[in-house]
Amino acid sequence: MKFVMLLRKEARESAPWILLSVIVLLAIGGLLLRQEARYGQDNWRYSQLSPGQTVSPYMLTRESVLTGPGALLFTVSIGLGLILGIRHFWIPHFTRTWSFLLHRSVSRMSILASKLTAAAIGLVVFLGAVWIALYWYACREDLFAFPPSAKVFVNGWVFIALGLIAYLGTALSGLSRARWYTTKIFGLAFATLVLFVTITQSRVSSALLITLAGIVILLVQIIETFLKRQY
Amino acid sequence: MALWIQISAGSGEPIYAQVVEQVGQAIARGELAGGDKLPTVRKLAAELVINPNTVARAYSSLERAGLVTTKTGSGTFVSDPKLRKSDGADVNILTERMDTLIARGLNLGLEAGDLTRLFERRLAKYVKTPQQQKEKNDE
Amino acid sequence: MSRHPNSRKKKTMNETVLETHNLTRYYGSAAAVDHLNLKVPRGCICGFIGRNGAGKTTAIKLMLGLLEPTAGSSSLLGCDSAALTPAIRQRIGYVTEGHRLFRWMTISELENFQAAFFPRQWDRKLFAEMIEYFELAKKRKIKHLSNGQRAQVSLALALAPKPELLIMDDPTLGLDAAIRRQFLEGMIELIMRQGRTVLFSSHILADVERVADRIAVIDKGRLRASCSLEEFRSAVRKVVFTFADSPPAQVDIDGLLHCRRSDKQLELTLVGADDFEVAAWAEAVNALEHHTAKMNLEDQFIEFTAPANRRKLFQWEET
Repeated sequence: MKFVMLLRKEARESAPWILLSVIVLLAIGGLLLRQEARYGQDNWRYSQLSPGQTVSPYMLTRESVLTGPGALLFTVSIGLGLILGIRHFWIPHFTRTWSFLLHRSVSRMSILASKLTAAAIGLVVFLGAVWIALYWYACREDLFAFPPSAKVFVNGWVFIALGLIAYLGTALSGLSRARWYTTKIFGLAFATLVLFVTITQSRVSSALLITLAGIVILLVQIIETFLKRQY
Repeated sequence: MALWIQISAGSGEPIYAQVVEQVGQAIARGELAGGDKLPTVRKLAAELVINPNTVARAYSSLERAGLVTTKTGSGTFVSDPKLRKSDGADVNILTERMDTLIARGLNLGLEAGDLTRLFERRLAKYVKTPQQQKEKNDE
Repeated sequence: MSRHPNSRKKKTMNETVLETHNLTRYYGSAAAVDHLNLKVPRGCICGFIGRNGAGKTTAIKLMLGLLEPTAGSSSLLGCDSAALTPAIRQRIGYVTEGHRLFRWMTISELENFQAAFFPRQWDRKLFAEMIEYFELAKKRKIKHLSNGQRAQVSLALALAPKPELLIMDDPTLGLDAAIRRQFLEGMIELIMRQGRTVLFSSHILADVERVADRIAVIDKGRLRASCSLEEFRSAVRKVVFTFADSPPAQVDIDGLLHCRRSDKQLELTLVGADDFEVAAWAEAVNALEHHTAKMNLEDQFIEFTAPANRRKLFQWEET
């Protein structure tokens, strides 16, 4: 009951941003796909292929119909991660509501968990659902001659994981009470590093592994910092 | 009931002393007669917005002075004036205070007769002097 | 039937509900709280007074386990502040400095939020009565309330769970006289219940004098006094000695805080000196006369916390 109350509070504070992200992704992503379905270069190019000609893997992955929506997901996911990180861990400093929030008859860990859960729901459940919907739409054979590969689908989840990285990095920097030029910058710097290493990976599996490792490292740091009782 | 007590926080006088002083005044003026019940500690504390322990302290100080008596279970009552006994120390303090007042009066250039008249006029505000009592009886 | 989590336990009045042991917190190289040893017995209202930046807020946050001490420890209701269990926190009310609440919530949303953390002890009726008394509509959002109204909501949120220990961080700062009085009434109301304790920090000493029966004075992070209000009131005093000639150059009397001298007078602020000591000293230095000047709590506090040999900010020189 107490945790539900905490989660409701965090979810309510995150809801406008999550909703905005879903709408942007669904509207613009859907629009891009419809354009692609009507006048898409790929469709046009693939339809010009002569029978028996082999299709290069390059065509199927990089030039997928989901390239545009994928780039959008990348942007929206990282943007939402940053915003939620700021909302959950920076704004309480400015509004000075940490004290009121932290004196609760729950463990300190529950308070942190409610914030992380709200962010995870927003990023993984909501953005994930939109991504699944877009992927499902792109797989319709009546509209698109060449459906996106599974690798493209997984790529979307890497982007969502990068959103989590952005969230956790912002969170860690927000929690740190050190000065900016010392350890406070660590969270954001580490998140940026993970981001660059991930997008330069050619294999989607290694990209996924790196982001997951980054998430674990940031989580451990966040829990340690939060339980240190610095405000 | 407690409306005649005015607390001024932040003055030099401790709050419990203000309560003692004002209850004492009310008893002396006859606003509270022997046998009257004082408000309970909690009620007075809530009404005056002061700490209940302060009220309790004031009441016990009044009780030590013999102005009130506490009957367990039923409350605090103004004691019967006839049963009040003043001990020598109290009278000594009073004498000292009167000395101060007389000295001030003489310094102001008042005569002994002026002082006596002044004293009687003030006293009349609290009790009927024998003279007034006699006039009343004659009517 | 509502019952308090601890109602079955027998409470002794001399039990300590708040205790700190050499509690210390540094910010950088400066000590905000310095070896604080404070004890608050059950059943009292303790005024926690100190000047701006004396370390009151830091001390309160340390006690509530919101800050980690650099050294030392503290405990509330017998439980170490570093590991306050949910069950213990449920018995403690806390009013934060400035009454900062979630701005987007309405009053009733905030009530539901707060009530969830005090199951079985939340007094809905009391909360509703207080909000009605303050003439606030429950569907109003916190961000649309004035400072005073937000403070009133905060007071109702703190009293509705009837906490066993209520800690308030400068609750009346910047409030008008009427709302300040409501806070004092609230404290008195709570303390009348058996075994409740209140600790509140304040700058307004008239408020402290009115409702507190104990005070703790903190100055530059250090605890300067922790005693009953009466003890403090009688301990700090100003005595004026008059001499035939110039007063003695050397003033050696126990408990001397400050000394001001004029042509034939010596004004001493003393702490802990009784009438006999003062009289004995007056005789020893051949003073013609001496008398104790009345001081209110504010004067006592200023004298008590002023650095030694302090002079006034503006000195008037008679020419």
